[in-house]
Amino acid sequence: MSTVLAGRGLTKKYGSTTALHGVDVAVGVRESLAIMGPSGSGKSTLLHTLAGVVRPDGGEVLLQGERIDSLGENRLSELRRKRFGFVFQFGQLLPELPAEENIALPLMLDGMPRARSVSLARRWFAPLGLDGLEKRRPGQLSGGQAQRVAIARALVVQPDVVFADEPTGALDQVTSEEVIRLLTSVTREQGASLVMVTHDPDVAAHCDRVLQVRDGRISGHQQYTVTP
Amino acid sequence: MSSPVPQLTWFLARRSGRRGLHSQLLAAGAAAVGALILLVLTAAYFGSDARSQATAWRTPAPDRHGTAVQTLGTTYLGDRPITVVSLAQLPGRAATPAPPGLKKFPEPGQVYVSPALADLLHSTPAKQLADRFPKVASYGTIGAAGLAAPQELVAVVGRAASDPAVSAAAEPLGMFGQFGGQTARAVVSGFDGTEVSVFTSSDKPAVSIGVAIVAVPVIVLAAAAGRLGAARREQRLAALRLAGATPRQILAMTGLESAAVGAAGAVTGALAYVLLLPALAEIPFGIGTWYTGQLWVGLPWLLGIVAFVAGLIAVSAMLTLRQVATSPLGVAQQADPRRTNLIRLVLFVAVVLYIYLSASSGGSSSRQQLAMLLMFYGTFWLLGPWVVDRLGRITARFARRPATLLAARRLSDDPRGSWRTVSGLVLAGFVAGFFTVGNVGIDDYRFPDQVAVATTSTATARTAATEARTLLRAAGVRATVTASDGADEILGSTTGVVVHVSGGAGQLDTAATTLSNLVPGQLPYTQEYVNAENQAFTGRLGELGTAALAVSFLVATASAGLTAAANVLDRRRVYALLRLAGTPLKLLDRARFRETVLPLVVLAGGTTTAGVYAAFQVNKLFGSTISTSGAVTLAVCVSLGALAMFAAIGASRPLLRAVTQDPAQTAD
Repeated sequence: MSTVLAGRGLTKKYGSTTALHGVDVAVGVRESLAIMGPSGSGKSTLLHTLAGVVRPDGGEVLLQGERIDSLGENRLSELRRKRFGFVFQFGQLLPELPAEENIALPLMLDGMPRARSVSLARRWFAPLGLDGLEKRRPGQLSGGQAQRVAIARALVVQPDVVFADEPTGALDQVTSEEVIRLLTSVTREQGASLVMVTHDPDVAAHCDRVLQVRDGRISGHQQYTVTP
Repeated sequence: MSSPVPQLTWFLARRSGRRGLHSQLLAAGAAAVGALILLVLTAAYFGSDARSQATAWRTPAPDRHGTAVQTLGTTYLGDRPITVVSLAQLPGRAATPAPPGLKKFPEPGQVYVSPALADLLHSTPAKQLADRFPKVASYGTIGAAGLAAPQELVAVVGRAASDPAVSAAAEPLGMFGQFGGQTARAVVSGFDGTEVSVFTSSDKPAVSIGVAIVAVPVIVLAAAAGRLGAARREQRLAALRLAGATPRQILAMTGLESAAVGAAGAVTGALAYVLLLPALAEIPFGIGTWYTGQLWVGLPWLLGIVAFVAGLIAVSAMLTLRQVATSPLGVAQQADPRRTNLIRLVLFVAVVLYIYLSASSGGSSSRQQLAMLLMFYGTFWLLGPWVVDRLGRITARFARRPATLLAARRLSDDPRGSWRTVSGLVLAGFVAGFFTVGNVGIDDYRFPDQVAVATTSTATARTAATEARTLLRAAGVRATVTASDGADEILGSTTGVVVHVSGGAGQLDTAATTLSNLVPGQLPYTQEYVNAENQAFTGRLGELGTAALAVSFLVATASAGLTAAANVLDRRRVYALLRLAGTPLKLLDRARFRETVLPLVVLAGGTTTAGVYAAFQVNKLFGSTISTSGAVTLAVCVSLGALAMFAAIGASRPLLRAVTQDPAQTAD
């Protein structure tokens, strides 16, 4: 499996606290990787470093062999907008935009005409079980529905990698199961890789591989046989 | 057992961190601006009244058993009015008290002048001004108590009771008694006065209209302070509710915290008002700047406004929290946009129709007119959010760029919030557009280069004309002198002498000075005299328009700036996550700007344009031209106001950058 995203010798310090100690990590094309670990272990820092949100103090991040941690802020923003997708626990949707416009927003940001952006966004509603909710605002959606809209928004730009930070943290178990199943399957169908931070082993079990992080170091690997 | 609320409120306020402090500072800022502007409006209202009343002593209140004769005359140097009060103690009567601004009743031959007139006498050739008054070795000074403004030009001349200048001959002749009470004569026993000067009589009505336009937006701004940081407070108190706090405790805590923050802000505003008083007094309105004392509202009003603002903020915050108080789980997200109903438009149209029909039928009392005005104002405020909502929806339908789409959706999401920011400007825009650019359809009388002196008869006019020729020739004034039998335009139906002066304004002033004593008790008239009432009225309306627009821009600037900053704080998570996902900061910033610019340009710009158009139409109807200086003033005011608003929104850009700078941390 070829590598789409790699971190080599990643080190990150916050004051006197070292969040990452020379971490090496590689994510394959269409691979889903779960990052687990206790609170403060550095798992979110690792995700943000790989996503170009946080600059490492040492080491490098490569996207399809191209170093991205040394890019300027504008280039990094563009990269995150065009080649990455993001799903968070909650609060990522703009409350005043209806669901379809929330999904279309990244396309419009890239200069696509509004009508075409919304038309493309609408294609995501049926596969994600959101039919009929196009005009609903985030406040009018359930937690699970809102996360599915967020997944659609992350994938609408056809990213290389989707980063998810506790995407089911605010959901009940049944909804959580539905959302994670959708996230992993649709991401794979779209040919994208998934890097997800979670503390829930059941959620992590949906990924191809699990990386255990403790005190800023990789403390273990776990390989699952995941049905595509 | 004492209530735990105060202690808990204090504890939580201290623990609210930088984010809480930001919100509290913003709320206090809004309270400060609100209190400051309310105090300034109150000061302007009382000040304009005090200023008008300060002129009342010059118009004599007749008393058959009076002790002195008082005459009032008005003479002009160019277009600057000089009020001349002549006083003569009647022999054998009790001593008359000193008029305001003088230490004692003036003796015959004494001349007291206001400081501004003293300066003018010093800088103007005597034949153009000083020779209008009795010659004296030195002038006395009229104190502030006798003046309406530091720039006022007033002279008090002491005369003997036998002096023709205070005799019955000094009664206003013909139509000249009608031009706004610039001339009068009576036997008086004191200086209680009956009528305020024509130059200040429009001040209070104009200020009252201005206060009516601006007060509501200011109160709304102050009330909005209670809603600033509502999202943060809702989250905190929802957690408290879940922890077992009762709705009453929640409301008490909110009220206490908001009142304390509001009071701190309002006291700051009050202090700013006190410190700014000397600067406020330098703002010209009408006849000039103000005496500081005129703008001092007094301690009871000061404290009352501070208490009002603090109470308003507390009530507003508690009303905002009624949802969390009743349902702790109901505050997680605002489910529905705060849409507006078509009934608002229906109501507005119905009220406008009713007012139109009532006004057409005529005969409504002033109380009914006031009720109609209030009704219009009320429905105007109802209609505003509906228009903003429609504006948002229409713009969203046609928006192509994400920033415009975001701004339009925000407008529809909270039309009342957006309306609050621009509401003052919408009404003030119309008033300013109409009154600054228009000449209100009242065209001035045009008698350039003419000086006239009224006489009691045609025969007297002929004699006076002969004398006038001699006097003018001796003074070196080139002029054509005619005796009018009451058919001349400047004199109307009054008989007298009409002088056509060549050589410009200086010569005209010399002629007016030369003819000051031509007919005892009758000062020469120029076109400024007959136009004074109209000029004062239209001038005040124009100034009212500009002042209302300026204050409205101030309110809108404060409102836009504070709301923009509060929105950044309330929406920091979504901004941070959008930034993290690669949304350019510029786009978020642009959307924030458009959210204010759209209603500002469309609504306030629309009503201002409508005001200008209406003025233009009225002027056309009366054959008068638009006021160029008014148009320039309006353009400058609008440009500066708009720039100030954008600067105020831009001021929260560093805050936006800060909350999105490290999205990885902020998001968590």
